Amino acid sequence: MSESSTRILQVARHEYRAALRSRALTVLLVILVTATAVSVFVSATDYASQLAEYDAYRAAAQAQGLTRIAPSPLAVLSLLRGAFEYMEIIGAIIAITLGYLSVSRERTNRTLPLLRSRPLTGTELATGSFLGALGIFTTLIAATAAVGVVALGTIGHDWISPPQTLRLTLACVAALLYLSAFYCLGAIATAKVKVPANGLLIALGIWLLVVLILPQIGDTLDADNQLPGGLFQALGLNHDGEVAVLTHFTGYERVRTGIEEASLAKHFERFAFAMSDVKERYRPYGLPWLLNETRNDIGWLLAYATVLFLGLRRTLTRQQPIPTGGIS
Amino acid sequence: MSEPVIELRGLQHRYDTDLVLRDVDLKIARGEIFGFLGHNGAGKTTAMNILTTLLTPTGGTATICGYDVVTDRRHVTRQIGYLPADVRMYGHLTAAENLEFLAKLSGVTDARTAARETLDYLGCADLAKRRVGTFSTGMRQRIGIAQAIVHRPQVLFLDEPTSGLDPMGVRQLRETVQQLNRDLGMTVFMNTHQLSEVSKVCTTIGVLNHGELIYNDSIEATLRRFPDEASLEDIYVRVGELAP
Repeated sequence: MSESSTRILQVARHEYRAALRSRALTVLLVILVTATAVSVFVSATDYASQLAEYDAYRAAAQAQGLTRIAPSPLAVLSLLRGAFEYMEIIGAIIAITLGYLSVSRERTNRTLPLLRSRPLTGTELATGSFLGALGIFTTLIAATAAVGVVALGTIGHDWISPPQTLRLTLACVAALLYLSAFYCLGAIATAKVKVPANGLLIALGIWLLVVLILPQIGDTLDADNQLPGGLFQALGLNHDGEVAVLTHFTGYERVRTGIEEASLAKHFERFAFAMSDVKERYRPYGLPWLLNETRNDIGWLLAYATVLFLGLRRTLTRQQPIPTGGIS
Repeated sequence: MSEPVIELRGLQHRYDTDLVLRDVDLKIARGEIFGFLGHNGAGKTTAMNILTTLLTPTGGTATICGYDVVTDRRHVTRQIGYLPADVRMYGHLTAAENLEFLAKLSGVTDARTAARETLDYLGCADLAKRRVGTFSTGMRQRIGIAQAIVHRPQVLFLDEPTSGLDPMGVRQLRETVQQLNRDLGMTVFMNTHQLSEVSKVCTTIGVLNHGELIYNDSIEATLRRFPDEASLEDIYVRVGELAP
């Protein structure tokens, strides 16, 4: 292993351990996992009764000798909707907080000069910190997914299949990209301002806009959301029909899509919901079709995470690690 | 003078329009304990920030062990140890964990052993397993020195190392600096206001006045040159008066 890789891994390990020892972060992590657990437990309990009803129907149909039995309308992965929504909102706050703590810790402890007077470059510091945060997010996402999957199996009585596991894994990768982007945002905002707490406020302001306001505007303007259950479903149109209708409103749709595409949260939501069968219209399709349909969203997630990481690297490289005072 | 371990040639630094270092020329030989004196705002910390690669000078050059602080940053950082003013370290880590982490960043292969040996050497092995966040200023300063020497650098930079220390702490620090210089052959560059300490520990001094180096000589030569002055404080005032 090269010396540079060793230093990056040391910083990553340091970041990971420091994050785990932060009380504020621990509280947020517990809130997220608890909220997810409650959400999945409640929906899994309801799912179990629906599954029992379907099993009773199938048994009765088979007993009557019916050869054509309706497939189950249930989609077990869709019960993880709450988990993804909490990840989208609380997860982003956790990521911003982690970014803030990562930068403010060095400032408060005045340890940046200790790091930068060693053979550690700004790029290595940024990469190490980023990898440490990825470690935290991986742990968090894995814990949340494990809680969800176990709840589905034990309470919902439906263990997910290998293809569903693959789709869930892809949704988790999207979550990782999503949280990484917010981590970088929190760290950049904190590093750019004199008072670290102001950086946190700025990042939370952007979170509010990106996670809550822009998607809400986009949803409100969405024609399909004008009727409960969906306008196009009420009109009896499938996905292709919906696309055909919307070609008559291209200008309007372009503006609405533009607003939504500015929102990182919306891209994550679209991808995660497509992978987890939350949107009924996606359920009949296989993984290759879903990946093709959501390539735009995963592309945007990747682009946001990459650009923000490069921004973080640039910020930390240019940051002058001057101790107190500057001139003396 | 033997091959200088620290060399500044026409070093300049400007913050916006404020010129805080003005063409500073300075050579410090290996094994010296150099006291850098000057009033608040004279430019001492700026010079130290440049020498420790934390700040890029706006003019001139500076080398450590022959390596340029701007173009050979990687080599320079291998040769130096640095104790900034009022360092707090990572409060959530123990003293040993702090040292291990920083030693690994400096490329020390067996960081655990290096951390333990350094703490033993400085007589603070009892602090190894305690969290730094619970330490007093004096204890923190000792761990600060430990992190600066854990990778056995050739040059040690100390920025106001006695600031905030009680008399016992100051004395302990002085003994540590002398011990490091004697046992490990470290060249020490120290920014300080404590003139009494300078006369006891330093072998050479430099005086910076409004960014200009107005005096640079050995302690012995300085005392010979100003025989009428009772203390280094008086000499310091005199040097200031003689400045152009």
